[in-house]
Amino acid sequence: MQTFIQLLIGGVLQGGIYALGAFGLSIIFGVLRVLNVAHGDYLMLGGMLTYWLYTAWGLPPWASLVVVFPVFFLGGLVVERGLIRPITGKGHHEFLVASILVTLGISLAIEDVTAFGLTQPVKGIDYFLPPIRMGAIVVSSLRLILLALIVALTAAIHLFLQRSFTGKALRAVMEDREGAMLAGIDIGTASAVAFGLGTALTATAGVFFVTLIPVDPHIGIPLTLRYLAIIVLGGVGHLPGALAGSVVLGLSESLVAFYVGAEWSLTVAFVILIAILLARPRGLLG
Amino acid sequence: MAVVLVGVGLVAFAGFAALPALTTSTYLIAFFLSVFIAAILAQSYDWVGGHLGYLNLGHASFFGIGAYTFGILLKGGQPLLVAFGAGAVLAVAFALLISYPFFRLRGAYFALATFGLVTLLELLASNLSELTGGSGGLTIPTGYRLYRAYYAALGLLALVVGATAGLARSRLGLALVSIREDEEVAGAFGVNAYGVKCLALVASAAVAGLAGGLYCWYLTYIIPSTVFGLDVAIGPIVMAMLGGSGTIAGPLLGALVLDVIREVLRFKTQYLALTIYGVILVLVGLFLPGGLANPRRWRRLTRLAGRRLA
Repeated sequence: MQTFIQLLIGGVLQGGIYALGAFGLSIIFGVLRVLNVAHGDYLMLGGMLTYWLYTAWGLPPWASLVVVFPVFFLGGLVVERGLIRPITGKGHHEFLVASILVTLGISLAIEDVTAFGLTQPVKGIDYFLPPIRMGAIVVSSLRLILLALIVALTAAIHLFLQRSFTGKALRAVMEDREGAMLAGIDIGTASAVAFGLGTALTATAGVFFVTLIPVDPHIGIPLTLRYLAIIVLGGVGHLPGALAGSVVLGLSESLVAFYVGAEWSLTVAFVILIAILLARPRGLLG
Repeated sequence: MAVVLVGVGLVAFAGFAALPALTTSTYLIAFFLSVFIAAILAQSYDWVGGHLGYLNLGHASFFGIGAYTFGILLKGGQPLLVAFGAGAVLAVAFALLISYPFFRLRGAYFALATFGLVTLLELLASNLSELTGGSGGLTIPTGYRLYRAYYAALGLLALVVGATAGLARSRLGLALVSIREDEEVAGAFGVNAYGVKCLALVASAAVAGLAGGLYCWYLTYIIPSTVFGLDVAIGPIVMAMLGGSGTIAGPLLGALVLDVIREVLRFKTQYLALTIYGVILVLVGLFLPGGLANPRRWRRLTRLAGRRLA
């Protein structure tokens, strides 16, 4: 029982980390219709930056959020302007092919350059806070703080999308592109903001990731696949759905890793993906 | 034009068939063998990816299933042809199995789901180590078979090219293209979309399965990443795109160009091969989605050049 509760907590936290990246991919896909294959690599880069800030400047992981978010927001803007915008305006099939080629190319290049540039590619932060004991159950206070931060961030994104003018514009574009254009929304700006925001959210997830699990250059594409499973599970552009999907995936992975074996945890995402596609090709809630 | 192309094809085939008699360089033979296998994969990928317009990033899964089935059976003492046949049959069975859930997906969803498939199979090949040897690899009885593998690959490639040429002129080929352009309209005009899609996937799986067996036979040693690795999965797609997707010459041209680039890079630099691959991908995506064999592009270029000269 005790183990089970620990597994539940670990799974929910893992789900929360997935959720931030899944929000990012969902926003990008919803607004730009680009399936960003390089998405998981931004998490890896965010984790690497956090590691560097921690070891070189002694910045604690949560403080590095202040650096990571804006840096990757700008990075996302640059990628959108330089590599994504030139391919929009092509025909439907051509755009799909070009967008997958371009983002896959970015992913391969990021992974390879990172692996090449690091003599010791696995980077983890050895950050420790005294655990909290509740009877027989031991909860890491670090994990609780991270979970609280993730919840706060999720709430912030939700408010941003629901209340702010820009957030409403993003939702309008997701809902009906032509309609939004007719209402005077600048699709170019919306795309740039969505790409920057999506990239920054994923990189932020990297901050949490590296605090719990070491990052290495090759985690990008497996993560992108998980995000895809989550989005299919929760529906595109649907944040509560993405959150639910993330927690389901995080929990199942945590249980499978313990009861079946850690090497099987990635297969969970895939089994979920296939099962949902069989039952509901448009996603569980979409 | 068509006569010229057929002529070029026949001359190239004769030239490659005579190559082992003309050169003693086993390096050259081995290089062209790898070009042939790449071209077989690129062309068979393109039946689904180019003609049908379903971006199948999981073509390597059929290749790998063929390779592992072949290797496991040959190691178990089965005759060579049985092992080859079983590789193709299992790849086809797998294609049939996934066709129902996967062809319910469109566009980007189909692409990423198939991409996940390769990752899943690589994981399975590593984890089911009693069957596949896991990450330690699978070794089959060795022997000198470079020339036999060369001719087998050349024959299979000729067959695949012939099939593509036939496809381009057939009703089936038209049905594939009509689905790529608009699946609903194609269905309304009486195209059995699901059947046609299945047929294309099964055919491409059979060819990739055979190619996988051949590759395993030639290498005699495979690990999961040799057949399911990222570069194996992406290679055929880049080649088809680079050369020109949906054409006959495109995937062949792409395979040759990319393999030459790769070979040159291998001598120049040991590192960053994937990075260069990635950069090529980005460039093709940005500038060349029609590919090198796209006649419109060349016509525009020659027209520009003509204007300069005049």
